[in-house]
Amino acid sequence: MLAQSLIQGLDQFFTPLTLILTTLGVIFGLVVGALPGLGPLMGIVLMLPFAVDMPPVSAMGFLIAIGVGGSCGGSISAILLRIPGTPLAAATLFDGYPMAQKGRAADAIGIAISASALGGLFGGLVLILTAPVLADFASNFAPPEYAMLALTGLISIAVVSDGSLLKGLMTGALGLLIATIGTDEFSTGFRFAFHYEMLNGFHIVAIVVGIFAVSEMAQQVQAGNLNEKPTVKPVRPGFRSVLLTLRHWKNLLRSSTIGAAFGALPGVGGTISTFASYAVAKAMSKPEEGYGKGAEGGVVATESANNATVGGAMVPTLALGIPGEAASAVLIGAMLILGFFPGPALFADQPEIAGGIFLVYLFSNVSLLVVGIVMTPVFVWVLRLKKSYLVPVVLLLCAIGTFALQSSVFDLWVMMGFGVVGILLRAGGYPLAPLVIGVILGPLLENNLRRSLLISREGYWIFLDRPVSAILVAANVLLIASAIFWTIRLRKAQRARRAESPD
Amino acid sequence: MMIRKIHAEWLVTLLFVGVVALVFQQAATDMARQGIASGGPYDNAAAYPKAIAALLGGMVALQLALRLLRARSDEGPDAPGVPLRALLRPALMVAIFALYLGSLAPLGYHLTTPLMLAALMLLAGIRNPVAILVPALLISLGFSFVFEAWLKIVLPGGFLHLNIPW
Amino acid sequence: MKHLTTTLVTALALTAVPLATRAEDFPRRTIELIFPWGPGNAMAGSQLLADAMADELGVSMPVISTPGAAGTKAFMIAMNKPADGYTILDGYVAPLVLQPVLGNADWTYDDFIPLHAASSNAFAIGTSAENDRWADFEEMMAYCAEHPGELRYTTGSRNNLPHMVIAKALQSYDCVAQNIPYTANAEGMSDLKNGVLDFGFINVGEFQQNGDNYAIKLVLSELPASAEAFGNAPSIADLDIDLGLSGLAPLGWNWWLVHKDTPPERVEVLRQAMKAATANPEVRAKAAALGFAFLDWDWDQYDEVVGPVAGQLKAMGDALKWEEEELSKL
Repeated sequence: MLAQSLIQGLDQFFTPLTLILTTLGVIFGLVVGALPGLGPLMGIVLMLPFAVDMPPVSAMGFLIAIGVGGSCGGSISAILLRIPGTPLAAATLFDGYPMAQKGRAADAIGIAISASALGGLFGGLVLILTAPVLADFASNFAPPEYAMLALTGLISIAVVSDGSLLKGLMTGALGLLIATIGTDEFSTGFRFAFHYEMLNGFHIVAIVVGIFAVSEMAQQVQAGNLNEKPTVKPVRPGFRSVLLTLRHWKNLLRSSTIGAAFGALPGVGGTISTFASYAVAKAMSKPEEGYGKGAEGGVVATESANNATVGGAMVPTLALGIPGEAASAVLIGAMLILGFFPGPALFADQPEIAGGIFLVYLFSNVSLLVVGIVMTPVFVWVLRLKKSYLVPVVLLLCAIGTFALQSSVFDLWVMMGFGVVGILLRAGGYPLAPLVIGVILGPLLENNLRRSLLISREGYWIFLDRPVSAILVAANVLLIASAIFWTIRLRKAQRARRAESPD
Repeated sequence: MMIRKIHAEWLVTLLFVGVVALVFQQAATDMARQGIASGGPYDNAAAYPKAIAALLGGMVALQLALRLLRARSDEGPDAPGVPLRALLRPALMVAIFALYLGSLAPLGYHLTTPLMLAALMLLAGIRNPVAILVPALLISLGFSFVFEAWLKIVLPGGFLHLNIPW
Repeated sequence: MKHLTTTLVTALALTAVPLATRAEDFPRRTIELIFPWGPGNAMAGSQLLADAMADELGVSMPVISTPGAAGTKAFMIAMNKPADGYTILDGYVAPLVLQPVLGNADWTYDDFIPLHAASSNAFAIGTSAENDRWADFEEMMAYCAEHPGELRYTTGSRNNLPHMVIAKALQSYDCVAQNIPYTANAEGMSDLKNGVLDFGFINVGEFQQNGDNYAIKLVLSELPASAEAFGNAPSIADLDIDLGLSGLAPLGWNWWLVHKDTPPERVEVLRQAMKAATANPEVRAKAAALGFAFLDWDWDQYDEVVGPVAGQLKAMGDALKWEEEELSKL
């Protein structure tokens, strides 16, 4: 089944359009990753309006490649400027920046790119080997399992998000409510449809562009330093860095495994996996390696982990249709617009799409290695771009991209409205990711909940009668209970600390 | 006046309360009229949004209670906050962008886009007119080329029907 | 004679092209096909035809899936778009004829200009292959009549054509069963295959791809070709009683339509492109692989095909009402 889907996927993958778009995606991803404040999620969001008009596998190749490039690009500014371009690269500066200080900037960037690509390939292997197995297991899932799985996805993202558990759950609930706008599949009635363009609900792309991109630009404008132009020396890494990286093969394998595993867990994501694998690598290193003072191993650990996470995160995304973090949620949104549902049926009925996505993911990592190393001077030059030019360009892209979706002015106002909501939520310390996950998982949750109740002959017991569903119910209860427990403990510890140090 | 995180939190609370109220209002009026606000899961489209809204309302209440408790235990405001005038720039950015979106359809892409770009660059602190006007025009033209010539998207022409036949 | 006129019109249209490109350069951008159901086999069929038509026109033609309200939402969205030929509506029977008959929509088929008939897509009632509770359809119906409200079935969306047809069949046997709506066909098929649902509607495409998963109980068409497509399963022609479903075949057709105010010269461009696309043997072969057969009905057969269906559908609309009432009594 696996070989078959890869072979069938080959047709979809091996087209000039797909290859070019995947490579362009990597380049664009590296650029948005390198630019502080943007990142893989923003890159995917900004290109989403254009991708949804392309053939499915080409579009997914483009978007996934942005994620892959974006997960690596942040290391460039972390190493050269001590400013991580994305939170994913925050742990890379521990050793990357000292390396650059010692005059090894080119090696550090070369290692970061090589480790990213190799970690990404490892993540791809995990994806290809586990996603079909998981999809096969899930092919027996019925509405109760899907309803509970949707809840698990939503709760775990709320638990792990920045800000408090309560705030995460609240924005998640808001997302679920937004998802109910439009036509109800069951009663065939309309809900909250105040305008005929709301019959289908708000366009997911307009929501995502507004909530992430517009609010991010407002934040950048408020943060100031819009005309800062860092001085960076040109850096030119070579393919020798691949060998430097491979010398740390044990570390590479270990960190990639951590990254892929963390990626597959809902809610965890790349940033946590980089810190975890850095900590493990440091603990297992010899003192003479000098972690924190410019050890190659430190860069290998963090960068291989964050790109392996991308592959790992795609496992539940493709096999179950449950996103683990915001970028996967946006990818699912794209898949739905492109006309296919991620989940077991994708592997059974459209193996060529699943196989094509595997292949574009692998190719994007190969492309990352080549393009990344050859084009590093370009990405370093990009760091000199002033935000005073970047912000207007990003906003223009938001406007025209949203308009391009269906030539609708209404969509523009939806985007703007969600931009303002995003600004408010950010200012109040509310995480944005649960909202988007809520919008994506909302229909899955509601429809499967109601379907379960219709199918059931004894009401809510259907969720406990079926073993997998019962396990998921237990997991959800446990997740909430442990999150509440930890929140309270953390609060108490904070209060105790504050009481000790009266300032 | 200093703007603190708590002020934004109050605004978000208001937003949530408004949403919860809207859900119940719609369920009682519009959905009831359509006959989809009662019955079992097959016909009742209001039960689920009402349940989520009730949950959200409960969380808002819990949050308010916690906020009051914290205020009484005198933990003080959590962050130093920012002065009100520091928010002028982002507010202006939002205003310029909204103005752009509003005038895009009536005035057309080619008339409004360079103006919006230039206004944002000015807002961002660029003062050299050449460094504003040249990039604004080039970016606007470059984008319209990519969209219209490559992606075959017709940008709004406005009342003058300004469209460049690339 | 008609053939000659068509040829003449085409020839005229072709010679007029160099002139027309200056005055009326159509199409210049993406043309959207508004599709009334969720992604799945039927959408793949429409996408296939849209791609072939896009090749004829030289612009891309994305299929926009806007499921909801038994397909009427797609119609409302399409009717609110400008009548400039850049929006084509995939007109299935349910939203085009059935919903207006039921009083759920305020248009008639006259409010649209036909481009060409698209495809026909027969369907059947089936159970999971592992379900051996009933030997044939009539046994299943007898069980159902004795246990009202106990059986669960799906027709994809609620109030769509298969739902209506199946409701009519069930009503004839006094069988009250609970319909379970699904947005994506694949989910419903998965639950049917796994035995979560007792029976359901199965279209030709699904049967040809995953036929082993199902036991076909009844093909809902009198056409011998339809029964053949379902492995010669029993059809309504083999039943002793009349379900009132005769004469409607082929049931699952769709026409591609545009807003009635669309400029005639643009309609002509689209018609010729669609006719060429449906006639392309390569495209027809691909469609057949998906379980679709393109229909050769021309735009001037629209009234003749669509007109009489309205009356016949009325009876089936009543079956839906009957089902709702019976379910609410339980």
